[in-house]
Amino acid sequence: MTERRWALGILLALGALAFLPLSRARDDVLNFVFLILLSITLAQSWNIVAGYAGQVNLGHAAFFGLGALLARVLWIRGTPIVVAMLAGAALATAFALLIGAPAFRLRGAYFAIGTLALGEILRTTVNNVLPEISTLPAATIAGYQLRHRYYLALALAAVSVVAVTVLAGSRAGLGMQAIREDEEAAEASGVGALRLKLTALALSTALAGLAGGLFAYYHISYYPSHPFGPHWTFDALLMTFIGGVGTLQGPVLGAILYVVLKEYLAVRWVDFHLLIFGALFIAIVLLLPGGLVQAAERARGLVGRRGRRPL
Amino acid sequence: MPLLEVDRVSKGFGGVLAVSGVSFSVAAGELVGIMGPNGSGKTTLFNLIAGALAPDGGRIRLHGRDIAGLAPHRICARGIARTFQLVRPFAGLSALDNVLVGRLYGRAAGGRAAAVAEAERLLVLVGLDGRAATPAARLTLIDRKRLELARALATSPELLLLDEFMAGLNPAETATAMTLVRRLVADGLTVLMVEHIVWALMDLARRILVLSAGEKIAEGPPQAVAADPNVVDVYLGGAPARA
Repeated sequence: MTERRWALGILLALGALAFLPLSRARDDVLNFVFLILLSITLAQSWNIVAGYAGQVNLGHAAFFGLGALLARVLWIRGTPIVVAMLAGAALATAFALLIGAPAFRLRGAYFAIGTLALGEILRTTVNNVLPEISTLPAATIAGYQLRHRYYLALALAAVSVVAVTVLAGSRAGLGMQAIREDEEAAEASGVGALRLKLTALALSTALAGLAGGLFAYYHISYYPSHPFGPHWTFDALLMTFIGGVGTLQGPVLGAILYVVLKEYLAVRWVDFHLLIFGALFIAIVLLLPGGLVQAAERARGLVGRRGRRPL
Repeated sequence: MPLLEVDRVSKGFGGVLAVSGVSFSVAAGELVGIMGPNGSGKTTLFNLIAGALAPDGGRIRLHGRDIAGLAPHRICARGIARTFQLVRPFAGLSALDNVLVGRLYGRAAGGRAAAVAEAERLLVLVGLDGRAATPAARLTLIDRKRLELARALATSPELLLLDEFMAGLNPAETATAMTLVRRLVADGLTVLMVEHIVWALMDLARRILVLSAGEKIAEGPPQAVAADPNVVDVYLGGAPARA
């Protein structure tokens, strides 16, 4: 049960971060940690469907975007933010279940390509229907409290970690991993694959929708199509792979490393950081398909060569 | 009523009839063998019974209820488990988790603790004691076969389909596997097995079906089947097996 231990450690660390705003930390520090926390939630949500159930969803941004869209609209019109976020998550999940059944008729790379197309269709549609920038009302900006966003992000990151911990130790989580390893053999062992894949997608997109709502609450002004951008999908994918796909701690470690590295590289080399991340991703997939988690295991010499890791 | 009835089942792939009008039945507690040259439709027949493929025609009944065309996990829930010709354990999962999947998703009831205890018992039964934590990918071929058997048994089947369980094993391992299969049948399991190792099949099965080019060309006790001119022709060449 190393998962339980990791979960405890991560939750303790998140608990400690609750004291950061009390220490009169500068806003840029809080913003930076906020980004890491948002990234943890987003990476963890992608990890559920791709890492555990083995379904590489390249349209993940669509669900982040839907959550952001509805939460923003409701919140600006006076709905409490938590309610607005839950509504956004419900919309994302409803959409996921609607497209899930046909999308899961596609397997492997075809599922990945199909979901990528879906995300792009949604982004383009939103861009055309809502071309105007969304800015908070002046009164809201005047009363903007970074701490509120920070604590919400902290809570959401904790929720995502708890969700994955519970899932990983559950019957459903085991069934998902069986599907990831070999769907046909899982079916032959009694696992109803479609239902479990839909469950994974629903859980994953609910978290992504919540993360989108948090983004809508945090950002003062942005184009409504921005949260639908493919980089939200690929950020989540990179973080998860860098850390260790299909593990609890992988996406957390990956999110921290990714955000830190991205800030550092973006300051020095501006857009070159994209090239660097691309190269890093290829190197990891080829040399270390289990990411940081696998690297640590190797370094400890406890485990030799691991078996095939899921995509 | 027989446990399994296969009634004039057919399956074609793009004009080629892989299984053509095959009928047979298996009584509870029997061990029935299926043999036939490569491409004679043995694995296709298994896939039809286990639900991996839907038949084009004919009926497959378990306890008299039609199961043809049901999804594999529903057929598993009715009481049929299988192993694969090329072993397919869940490579990234531990041996124990492999078996737990079968236990938690099969027909067995009971909580998690009982499931773990039962999965551990099955690992011992198939000879994988001490390997519970080992990832399936790091097991040897015979151990992966054992693991697949334990996973299938964990679903609490009434009928077990073994697809070339002995293939790739050395003589000593084959003997071990045969002992294991005998033990399962002695414990009341019904087994239908496809096997290329003819001597093993002759030794284990009371009744053997022979397939050739998708059709059943012989059925009977091992000695009778071995002496059947059609079977001899199919295996040793000569005149076409059927007019």
